[in-house]
Amino acid sequence: MSESAVFPSLRRRFWRPVILAPLTILFCLVVLVIIGSFLAAGFATPANLLTLVSLSAYLGIAAIGETIVMLTGGIDLSIAWTITASSIVFTGVTQGDPSRLWLGLIAALGTALAAGLVNGIGVAKLRISPIVMTLGMNNVMQGFTLIYSQGTPSGTATEAIKTIATGWVGPIPIIVLVWFAFAVVVSIGLHATRGGRYLYSVGESPTVSNLSGINNDRVLILAYTLCGLSAGITGVLFTGFSTMSYLGMGDQFVLPAIAAVVLGGTSIFGGRGSYVGTLIAAIFLTILTTVLSIVNIAIGYRSIIYGLVIIAAILLYRVYARDEE
Amino acid sequence: MRRWLSAQGRQGVIGAVAIFAVLFLVNVYLKGGHFSPFDLRTLCMNVLPLVCVSLGQYFVVLVNGIDLSLGPVMSVAGSVAAITFGWSTPLAIVLALGVGLVAGLINAVLVASLRLPPILATLATMSVFQGVALVLLPSPGGEVPGELTATLTQGGWDLLPVPLLLLLAVTLVTGWVMSTPFGLNLRAIGGDMLAARSSGVRVQFVSFGAYIIAAVLAALGGLYLAIATASGSPTIGDSFILLSIAAVVLGGVSIGGGKGAPLGVVMGALILAIIGRLLYFAELSSFYQSLINGLILIGVVGIESGRRLLVGVWSERNR
Repeated sequence: MSESAVFPSLRRRFWRPVILAPLTILFCLVVLVIIGSFLAAGFATPANLLTLVSLSAYLGIAAIGETIVMLTGGIDLSIAWTITASSIVFTGVTQGDPSRLWLGLIAALGTALAAGLVNGIGVAKLRISPIVMTLGMNNVMQGFTLIYSQGTPSGTATEAIKTIATGWVGPIPIIVLVWFAFAVVVSIGLHATRGGRYLYSVGESPTVSNLSGINNDRVLILAYTLCGLSAGITGVLFTGFSTMSYLGMGDQFVLPAIAAVVLGGTSIFGGRGSYVGTLIAAIFLTILTTVLSIVNIAIGYRSIIYGLVIIAAILLYRVYARDEE
Repeated sequence: MRRWLSAQGRQGVIGAVAIFAVLFLVNVYLKGGHFSPFDLRTLCMNVLPLVCVSLGQYFVVLVNGIDLSLGPVMSVAGSVAAITFGWSTPLAIVLALGVGLVAGLINAVLVASLRLPPILATLATMSVFQGVALVLLPSPGGEVPGELTATLTQGGWDLLPVPLLLLLAVTLVTGWVMSTPFGLNLRAIGGDMLAARSSGVRVQFVSFGAYIIAAVLAALGGLYLAIATASGSPTIGDSFILLSIAAVVLGGVSIGGGKGAPLGVVMGALILAIIGRLLYFAELSSFYQSLINGLILIGVVGIESGRRLLVGVWSERNR
């Protein structure tokens, strides 16, 4: 007999924040778009909104891995330099030459996968705290990138990647299609496969999941490896957007990615959340940044507002989850 | 003495001292076998801000928390000092430390009173403080009285320069705090919060204090950094976010809370500072700095957990 049949009300309460949080963010998103349309003519046109969604794609894809890792109760702070490393390796290997596209992809994603795998092994096998492990890995990737590029990244993105990042199919940006395809795959993976259920179970209670025969270590290693992969994909795609690679290009993703996961209703303690929530929150954060820059608010105030939004969201979500205590 | 030593060993200090000693000797060897008073002064000057913020981080880690906002607190404190030194020196110092007090209070309310997860709450305040620093001082600048800079960097004697005196003072004061009942309570909370609570420790009050002390120490580090560099910078603290955690971990403090001594943290900061100098004297590119920092961080923690795992396996087999 399934758990939900025994404790239907418990089950519903448990999932309440996961459903209410994305709805809240969606509501804020709509309000933001309405505000934006008053501030700038043509803000709420479909074409402009789709452009904004396409700008959110990089953050959204980077946040895929962060969602998976945070569902296990961990955190990955190494995506900053994993994104940069994969981008710089990609341009370094391809040098803009289309015939070397696959070689470049393999090298870039391989680098990112390796970083994620080592993170996973450190967290699962050596029991290093995720914060320390991924902080250390971030430094390692930074050093690797600096040594590999000798401080000056070379090469450009290939045409194919540039097309994916900036092209349109009819009325829709290609990158949005790519992102939504990833979102569908990830959501099916999380909610309808055995691996996904293991992920939630490890996050909710490592002891219980271990006792029920799940190999916790393997699940954790897989989670961090997937996070590395999603950072690598972000790096390659973002290279297409900016047409080249540069040092520190990944730094802008870490805080927003974690913020998107949390705003999307995923619990930092693991075991509860969804990628759909993260996706909506990624669009919200990108549009928030855009609206703040339309009204010409200095970058310092933007940073303050960003922090306040995160605090407000976690305080609000706690109200949603309160009944279960 | 022996008891003190064994206590330090349990706290993981001896390992940190050993690593530092080896790196220090290599450093002296690479410099052609001498270590001048000038080197001593420079080392202390370079490491002092990191020591302050890492000791702050130590208090938070002790109570099972983490504070990602301490780096930006340094930026805000340094910026405020650089702006207000023009009016009056004591006022600037008070205001800079006041920044720490207010920032610590905000973190403490969020984490200790409202019980938000420390990593999220301080990630948010990190963003807020970064913003505040940029609003106050959009680009590096401000002014610092020249004589203050001269005293705090060039003052003192050859073997006892002012930076070393300050370093010793900060270390001794934190060591003293840890020996008070308050320090014992800090350890108790980090060790086992429920046990601490049931034995009468005022958990909320003590964690509250930890976050405030942390931010005030970070502000002190930011203030010294502004004085030593004779200017304020709104982003100068950002690199200290990771470094302070690294120093704490290198010093043998466990992120799980409860364990570790201030002396170890100081050693952790010294290790990080001396790696930079080593690379310089070994004529290696500074590109290697972050790689080596990362490897040492993972290595130290990995070896420690590997050892614990092995001991676990071994004792299980012999049961």
